[in-house]
Amino acid sequence: MRPLRQSLLSVLLTAGVMAVGSAAQAATPIKIGVQAPITGQYANEGQGIADAVKLLVKQQNAKGGLLGHPLEVKVCDDQGEAAPAAICARQLVNDGVLAVIGSYTSGAALAAQPIYARANVIQTSDGTSDELTARGYKTFFRNAPPNSAEAIFTAGYFKAAGLNKIAVITDHSSFATGLADAVVADAKKEGIDVLDKAYINAGSQNYTPVLTKLAAMNPQAIYFSGYYTDGGLIKAQMAQLGMKAKFIGGDANQNVAFAKIAGNAAAGAIIINVPAPEDLPYPAAKEFLAQFKAAYGHQPPSIFTLTNADGLRAILYTAEKIKSVDPAKLIPALHELKDFEGLTGTFSWNAVGERTGSPYVAFEVMPGGAYKIIYPPSAAGK
Amino acid sequence: MLGTIVQQFVNGLTVGGIYALIALGYTMVYGVLRLINFAHGDLCIFGAYVGLVVLGSGAGSGHAQLLWLGAAFLVAAVVVAAAGVVLELTAYRPLRRADRLSAVVSALGASLFIENGIMLIWGPQLRVFPSNLLPSMHWTALGARIDLVQVLIIAGSAVLMAVLYWFVHHTRYGTAMRATASDQDAARLMGINVNRVIISVFLIGPAIGAIGGLFIGLYYRQVYFTMGWNYGLSAFIAAIIGGIGNIPGAMLGGVLLGLFNAFAAGFISSSWQEAITFALLIGILLVRPTGLLGERVAEKV
Repeated sequence: MRPLRQSLLSVLLTAGVMAVGSAAQAATPIKIGVQAPITGQYANEGQGIADAVKLLVKQQNAKGGLLGHPLEVKVCDDQGEAAPAAICARQLVNDGVLAVIGSYTSGAALAAQPIYARANVIQTSDGTSDELTARGYKTFFRNAPPNSAEAIFTAGYFKAAGLNKIAVITDHSSFATGLADAVVADAKKEGIDVLDKAYINAGSQNYTPVLTKLAAMNPQAIYFSGYYTDGGLIKAQMAQLGMKAKFIGGDANQNVAFAKIAGNAAAGAIIINVPAPEDLPYPAAKEFLAQFKAAYGHQPPSIFTLTNADGLRAILYTAEKIKSVDPAKLIPALHELKDFEGLTGTFSWNAVGERTGSPYVAFEVMPGGAYKIIYPPSAAGK
Repeated sequence: MLGTIVQQFVNGLTVGGIYALIALGYTMVYGVLRLINFAHGDLCIFGAYVGLVVLGSGAGSGHAQLLWLGAAFLVAAVVVAAAGVVLELTAYRPLRRADRLSAVVSALGASLFIENGIMLIWGPQLRVFPSNLLPSMHWTALGARIDLVQVLIIAGSAVLMAVLYWFVHHTRYGTAMRATASDQDAARLMGINVNRVIISVFLIGPAIGAIGGLFIGLYYRQVYFTMGWNYGLSAFIAAIIGGIGNIPGAMLGGVLLGLFNAFAAGFISSSWQEAITFALLIGILLVRPTGLLGERVAEKV
């Protein structure tokens, strides 16, 4: 009988404490879930996401919580894999979370999607697989750019920079040909004249024949979708041939060795990529990074920590704006999110929960090998 | 259009000169031993790495810089020639009387050994040559540009090939080499020290190849440990096009291959460049099975 009496006592005590507590806080907590790989091969990414969410929640609670309710974090380890992800999703739904941040991998996010959708739980993930927004789940919001975003950004940059005649070079890898094909298609949509798409054999070093051929077509820029080892050489050989065209490289050209290989010719090369956290030009990002470092003693492991933080920030911002945490009102409002100033750049969410407005930037390589952001205008010169 | 054609000619001649230098090593060894020395490409890249060590240890400018450059070529040639002799003594000589296939397998093993040796010494990542070794000068003519380094490579290859041709065809030792290539037993009966001739072939081929390797380093300014195989394969094709075993053939084959690659990529299709090159090789072998300047078989009868 003693255990029963003890538990009765504790229930009464708890009720009393809660009565006192609610008198001060006037509300029950709102739960925010984190579904991320806390262990396994992506452990540092998963822990980064959990740490960022905890930090944002702490900051929000210090401001008085969300619409008067304190926020509470529930973390579930999905190891970045599909089977544990489904278990996590059920567990977090049972915990009664409003929204889930994560997961890091597309596979884990895909497995959890239907479970959150049935429970009307908002899910925001950085998974880059284009499939994530193709299944029609209203509860899913991607916070990182999908695989197709780089080409769209690149074509937008061509247009903004007044580059109307370009030539494209790719190696034979599936990554580089995929990116090159997408850039060609998106550039044509922008009305840009793609003069030629030429191939090189990665590592073959002798690119002057291809470049001489392209030089005769007088392109304003040469876009290269392959890797830095070849990109640096292409830039050097363009200079050797006296070509005036700009060199624009895809994300695989960003490597410290690029400037070393291109040597004296490196300056003026333009590389398009998502910036590393410490290279983010936005003041809000710099402030968040300083707070993150102060709280945990290290930088976030990657840009995806910050895109997930942006997912949570956008949800909190929207809930405060519409003054409701009712999923029936919040979810449609999130689909109409416009020009939200994220840590990773300005973005919106569309009807399928896709992030429009990518965190990509165009860097220019300076003499000496440093980078300067030149595009988009909101990020340039910072 | 003329500018583009001339530029492609310059592009092709530069890389063709390098192919020719490396092809000489294949053809000389094949000439005396009837063996494809598959380790030759890796030896050449070994030369580039040795040169990089010399260049990396001395920093200077003006005349001092040129002195270091000369030293790099000399040291690379000497070290790689020594490596070539060691290769012959350890990998090929013990198999002189064995099956032809055993020697080929030994050559492939030696290639892997050198490649991985380079990786263990200098690391698997790509190494970059300093960018200011040569003054950045270029000339423009007929709408085409030629850099100082290209002039150095084209002229250097031409001089080396001319000296080698003179040595093989107009000296006593060269005559001994040709005799050995023609018929080892008869050469031995005539009092020629065949083993010494073979050693000298393994001295000269790798030394010239090392200079070719260093040219690659100077021109492209990046070296990595597996590239010997790629260049070796191209040079081997060049040797076959010209007629393997024939020294002027290797020179011609190298230059032709470089030019052909440039014109195929520039005027037909860059994505089909390799396929076109191999189609040319098959075409040449169909018409002339022994290559363009193939050894005249009748001479041996």
